Amino acid sequence: MPERIDFWGIPENWGSPAFYVYSLMFLAAAILLIRFYLRARLWWKVGRPGFHWNHLLQRLGRVINYGILQTKVLSQRYPGLMHASIAWSFFVFFLGTGLATIDSHFYKILVGIPYLLHKLVMDVFVVIFFIGAGLAVFRRFIQKPPRLTISSGFTWSLALTILIVLGGLLTESLRLAVEKPSWAWWSPIGWLVAKLWISTEASSATLTNWHLVIWVAHLLIVVITIITLPVSTLLHIITGPANIFFSNPDRKPGRLSPIPENSKAEPIYSDSLRNLSWMQFLSADACTECGRCQDVCPAYAAGTSLNPKILILNLRDALKQDASSILHGNTNTHLLIGEWIKENALWSCTTCMACVYECPILINHIDTIVDMRRHLVIKGQMDGELQAALENFGRYGNSFGQSDRMRARWTQTITPKIKDARREQVEYLWFVGDYASYNPTLSDITIKTAEIFNKIGLDYGLLYDAERNSGNDIRRIGEEGLYEMLMEKNVAAIEKCHFQTIITTDPHSYNTLKNEYPINQDKRILHYTELLDQLISSGRLKFRKKLGIKATYHDPCYIGRYNEIYAAPRQVIQATGCELIEMPRHAERAFCCGAGGGRIWMPEGDVKERPSEIRIREAVELDGVSHFIVACPKDITMFRDAVKTTGNEDKIAVKDLIELVHAAL
Amino acid sequence: MKIVVFVKLVPDLVEELTVDPGGTTLDTTWLRMIINEFDDHAVEQAILLKEKTSTQVIVIAPDFDGVDEVLFTACAKGADQIIKLTGDFSSINNHALARAVASRIKILQPDLVLTGVQANNDIDGSIGPALAACLNQPFVGYVSGVTLEDNTAIVQKEYPGGVIAEMSITLPAVLGIQAAEQPPRYVAVSKVRQVMKTSNIDEQPLDELDNSGFPEVTRMFQSETSAHAEMITGSPDEIADRLVSVFKEKGILQRTNR
Repeated sequence: MPERIDFWGIPENWGSPAFYVYSLMFLAAAILLIRFYLRARLWWKVGRPGFHWNHLLQRLGRVINYGILQTKVLSQRYPGLMHASIAWSFFVFFLGTGLATIDSHFYKILVGIPYLLHKLVMDVFVVIFFIGAGLAVFRRFIQKPPRLTISSGFTWSLALTILIVLGGLLTESLRLAVEKPSWAWWSPIGWLVAKLWISTEASSATLTNWHLVIWVAHLLIVVITIITLPVSTLLHIITGPANIFFSNPDRKPGRLSPIPENSKAEPIYSDSLRNLSWMQFLSADACTECGRCQDVCPAYAAGTSLNPKILILNLRDALKQDASSILHGNTNTHLLIGEWIKENALWSCTTCMACVYECPILINHIDTIVDMRRHLVIKGQMDGELQAALENFGRYGNSFGQSDRMRARWTQTITPKIKDARREQVEYLWFVGDYASYNPTLSDITIKTAEIFNKIGLDYGLLYDAERNSGNDIRRIGEEGLYEMLMEKNVAAIEKCHFQTIITTDPHSYNTLKNEYPINQDKRILHYTELLDQLISSGRLKFRKKLGIKATYHDPCYIGRYNEIYAAPRQVIQATGCELIEMPRHAERAFCCGAGGGRIWMPEGDVKERPSEIRIREAVELDGVSHFIVACPKDITMFRDAVKTTGNEDKIAVKDLIELVHAAL
Repeated sequence: MKIVVFVKLVPDLVEELTVDPGGTTLDTTWLRMIINEFDDHAVEQAILLKEKTSTQVIVIAPDFDGVDEVLFTACAKGADQIIKLTGDFSSINNHALARAVASRIKILQPDLVLTGVQANNDIDGSIGPALAACLNQPFVGYVSGVTLEDNTAIVQKEYPGGVIAEMSITLPAVLGIQAAEQPPRYVAVSKVRQVMKTSNIDEQPLDELDNSGFPEVTRMFQSETSAHAEMITGSPDEIADRLVSVFKEKGILQRTNR
């Protein structure tokens, strides 16, 4: 009966090989742990500690989903298959070796069929491993996509893993070549290689000697890999799942973390490594440098100084270089903001969340960026245009520097007069937002929205001059105090009204009202696309015309990725009789217009190509698409400009979804 | 060293201005008051001087709607003391204000008084020279840079046509600030809110105001349109020809002998 033999081919006069192997392994593991600890303790010695173990099952579930099954890694085909093949093979090799240890010391299981299955599975994963490794070699040395870090560290790790698997395969094949068991075909790859050795007609003794040499080498390479792991690029095997485990599982993406506070309830600003949280350092050390964030970042694509991957890696380097100085009380370190991380990079972020969505190990770049922006704001370090916008918000509640009494001027032509929700009871409270209210080029669309509501017979009202900017992007600029002030004013106004549901025009307002405002939980908050979708499916909204337009839809970041509203706007577009053609990057992967996170109030600076222009070029590539549909007032201004600057005025028209609805009624 | 900054609130031009039915003053029903922009620069200049030479900065302002926030903001920027002058300012003018404020400033005995060089409601002239007269101190206006040395101030004064003069004044003196050396800084709302909790506004009641010397306003009205613009239409060549002839007519374009 086939059965596993411990330490085959090790000369008997070597004594107990088990003793050497286990001593070596325990020693290597101890070195690994010590080295890892020496690195990891910097996270909470330099940074602020605070470990969260709540939602344990949910956290473990996320580790299984993202760390072991690697669903996010697999969302991109080539790198996904490449990484999963390598990682899963090692999981299997690890389990297989563990099983062998149990078999030889505790409980004999690898006998007969289970043994043969064990051999087969291990061999199959050798093949899978080599497919993954081949893809990795091709990607690293031939494809070389710009997002990859091409450095010797990664080459070294790839070489070590290949050598480990190769060593295992060679020892197995040499053993099979000597033993020639009848069940050799259960190790198909091992047996194929064994046949090669057999064909050399070398003697059993020679093959056994070769086996010994390779077995020792295999063992030593494993030891080297283990010992160097804490300083190699393979560290992510530990830090990746750790980052997934410790990342906050119950925070909605649309709800930003508040400013951290010390024990005296004073705010802590991220102005130095000392004031970062240990999680931010864990994330920095966990970054796999895969570059997915860089690939999807609109600020990076535009050629600004922000690269989300480099931002995170700069934190890693900062910790590496400055930690010991900080721990020795030496204040002569580099500035975190200004030297390690450039202010311009922080201001370039549009908070579109594409990086956070893509990160396979759940790093939250935006949290770190906003934390650092908060420090800049409290120091008053910002561009003059942004400062003027913030001062306008503080004084007038809008960025246009216009009186609050002018907010509802667009309603003047509408009859009957729209209800004042502060005085009359309404079913729907319409939170219009700044752009839809003040921007003269958008008032046409706002008026059309009101006309549609009137036609349907919607019972709705406005806050009129009591509405203020919702503060969504002001919060993301890092002006928390101003955000709170605006939020308090809005909440005070909203609480005085009698209504059931809030509707918003602006996705940004929608996000903060829904996720961050302390509004009574039984009030619903809907984006107008959701409302229209509901009215269509309930039969209250019926279209008389079929528009017959070929259109594409641009998902706004704040209703798309942030709030996962993908179906409603698409269903409305299709209900108006449009044929919807998707851009390559749509839904979760939609490419930001470049206006979010307060960018719309800042000078654009040195950009190669505006994100909005990149997006329009993507849309005009689609066959026969004549309309670019958006569901965000800021998108109208961004993309109408981009259509002009890219010279595509005769090819594509930018329309708000509401305009389609208006035309089809 | 001690610097006093006098700040006043002026009508915000963002709101549509309407004239009171009486026809001689602004209708205050819809009036929104904001800090006079030049006074904001005066505060900034004082804070800059404080950062360089650790002087004491006192900001003083008459009580208008919104003045508390203006004072707390100045405090958040770095002012050491904030004073609100209370009283009836319903028919205030710079003559009366200068007299009243000067009496307060005299008690404080500052080395330097800074205020905005002008304001949009200066019906009877700007307040800086009036303050200087009441204090019997020298005055320089249109200042865009100040350096302090012992008991003198070196100031940059802007003249029309892009000329700047540097002059030195023996302190104490009054300066009318045109622009601070750098734009007024941003102060985060949370900082202002913090200051509101931890700092106090020193309220000082003013006695009866002396309005003498203020000219009588007989009529206040919106500016009326007179001449209209001429729209030039036609082909680019025609437009260019017309432009050239207009320039010649107005004497902007002259034949050169070359």
